[in-house]
Amino acid sequence: MYDMNKQETAVTQKEIKFSARDVQVYYGDAHAIKDVSVELEDKTVTAFIGPSGCGKSSFLRCLNRMNDTIDICRVEGDIKLDGEDIYHKAVDPVQLRARVGMVFQKPNPFPKSIYDNVAYGPRIHGLARTKADLDEIVEKALRRGAIWDEVKDRLSAPGTGLSGGQQQRLCIARAVATEPEVLLMDEPCSALDPIATAQVEELIDELRKSYSLVIVTHSMQQAARVSQKTAFFHLGSLVEYGETAQIFTNPVDERTESYITGRIG
Amino acid sequence: MPALWLLLILILLGVIGYVVGRARAVRSAGGNVSDLHSLPNHYGSFVALSVVVPALTVMLIWLLAQPLVLNAIVSTDFPVVAIPENASVDLVMSDVRRIAEGLDKAEAQGVLDQSPLNTIADDAGALRGMLAGVGVALGADVTPEVLSASQSYRALAASGQGMMTGLVLLVALVGFAYAIRRTHKEFRARNVVEAGIKTLLIFAASIAILTTIGIVLSLIFNTLHFFRLHPASDFFQGLVWAPSFGGGSELGVLPLLWGTLYISLIALIVAVPVGLFAAIYLSEYATPGVRAFAKPLIEILAGIPTIVYGLFALLTVGPMLMSVFGRDGLGWMQAGTAVITAGLVMGIMLIPFVSSLSDDIINAVPQSLRDGSYALGSTQSETIRQVVLPAALPGIVGAILLAASRAIGETMIVVLGAGAAARLDLNPFEAMTTVTAKIVSQLTGDADFASPEALVAFALGMTLFVITLALNVVALMIVRTYREQYE
Repeated sequence: MYDMNKQETAVTQKEIKFSARDVQVYYGDAHAIKDVSVELEDKTVTAFIGPSGCGKSSFLRCLNRMNDTIDICRVEGDIKLDGEDIYHKAVDPVQLRARVGMVFQKPNPFPKSIYDNVAYGPRIHGLARTKADLDEIVEKALRRGAIWDEVKDRLSAPGTGLSGGQQQRLCIARAVATEPEVLLMDEPCSALDPIATAQVEELIDELRKSYSLVIVTHSMQQAARVSQKTAFFHLGSLVEYGETAQIFTNPVDERTESYITGRIG
Repeated sequence: MPALWLLLILILLGVIGYVVGRARAVRSAGGNVSDLHSLPNHYGSFVALSVVVPALTVMLIWLLAQPLVLNAIVSTDFPVVAIPENASVDLVMSDVRRIAEGLDKAEAQGVLDQSPLNTIADDAGALRGMLAGVGVALGADVTPEVLSASQSYRALAASGQGMMTGLVLLVALVGFAYAIRRTHKEFRARNVVEAGIKTLLIFAASIAILTTIGIVLSLIFNTLHFFRLHPASDFFQGLVWAPSFGGGSELGVLPLLWGTLYISLIALIVAVPVGLFAAIYLSEYATPGVRAFAKPLIEILAGIPTIVYGLFALLTVGPMLMSVFGRDGLGWMQAGTAVITAGLVMGIMLIPFVSSLSDDIINAVPQSLRDGSYALGSTQSETIRQVVLPAALPGIVGAILLAASRAIGETMIVVLGAGAAARLDLNPFEAMTTVTAKIVSQLTGDADFASPEALVAFALGMTLFVITLALNVVALMIVRTYREQYE
């Protein structure tokens, strides 16, 4: 299926990373996501926008099976990563999550040193053979998280002692340290001030060169600034998906227009 | 009039005051409740409180003070010659009080009427027999001086009782009148009632605090008294615990402390891993259904009285260990009562403490930390080991120290399970004893309470108190230091 897609659009579009078909999510009896089908491109920032409770975070959490940790949650439909069904019985969610990293709304550094926070993923996945290897991975990740210069002198200080913006960049560094292919970000800037937000946005743009990124955001300006593709969710359905510029200047659906002009949501 | 009747009358007056005060307030507003400054209930409560609280306070103070005052009056009248050799005024006065009490009882039961008392007084033995008949046993025959003192004691007590009744009722009625007079729709009854309730709560809190202070002071003074009678160096440095009531005891605390710490250590070795693992299972792996059923079940363990654990140690665990390590088995154990028996059973007793507290603490670790760890591709056990437990560690350490201070203070299990020999030994299959068990054995029996062999119980109690206090302080300090780091 996605091979066809690729041939058709090879000239204008990049490779498809995630392909979702008719995804349904239920929390107990509540039907949170209805018939969502979407294809996310590699080396692209895709923004999910929509009013609170519209299901954008729920859908994001389907992509690395974080919904598995919620007992009452049930996911139906088809989600493929590089053509492989991630909800297939043979897929180990632990391995999947190593390939699909995630950054959360609230910075959640572990109660460990800055170094151990970043080294956590590489250690559990055995990415480093020697201490020197690990040092190098940690330094590289912190540099990519644009926080190396601020913390290089105090790597053994607790990660929880950093400021909010630094903590969030530390969490991003922690996520990239495991070398994921996709990075999911669930409102990564909602707890940050404008300066820290600008730093994280700059970082997202930088990370786009190597990863596929999906970012959930409540800020339309942010979606417009950092993303190339935008998906608008409303009441659990995917209303519109397309080029960010097109969504923001010339939306097809009436509801999208109402939302971005501030009439609903 | 007995105090109970007086109390009932006060309560009745309070209820009447409530109803009357409420009605009067409503009437003063012309039946329009919204014109009142406060709710009608507040006016009622104000009157009720004004009736009951001052009257009750007077009654309480009177009841506490009356015996002291009577003692002072009667003992000054008491002829010095009538005090026997090597007995103090206090001892004689306690006899006087007991006889007075016995005569009251005898009169109430109709065994005695006033007229033949003088004839009985001539026959001291008969009086003693009669008092024993109503349940008041006396240590010696009654001398005429003591009898007359107790008669005057009774007379004073009776008139005191009458005076108290009058005074309390007077105070209640004055309070009633005062409160009713002030009850008017402009009166801010709500503020007064709120202040009154606050005062009552402060009073309750200060009772708890004052009691603690009183207990600690009594421990300290009795301990000091003990050290005047017995050298402190023997108590703190002596390696032998050999009390003998004839004098010349060796009262070294070290063997007892060693037994306490050794048994507690074994208990913690049993309780900490089991309790912690149970907590991890319950909070991280168990489904809500299993949890709802298993957690209360574990907590039932905490509700079993420790004497039952003691029986279990003596009758079940001891013989069971004997069959493995005793003469029929490995031959290491001489008797069922040993350090290992008490330690194992105490460990079982502590499991619910450790698991219940740790479970709450593990549950309090934010879900976002677990999410962060899962999102990096770690498994559940990696997440628990590397993220959840380190975050919960200070709380868990606190829980363990709390369990330790319980183990150190535990008595019944060691009395029944550990034996009675005070011994400095490393072998867990030997009988040893603890500080708590020795406090029991020093105070039960025919000991003279003024002898160092009995007073040593206070020094032992003080030692225990200092140790558990230190443990609690350290636990709090650990929890605080780490909390700052994690939040």
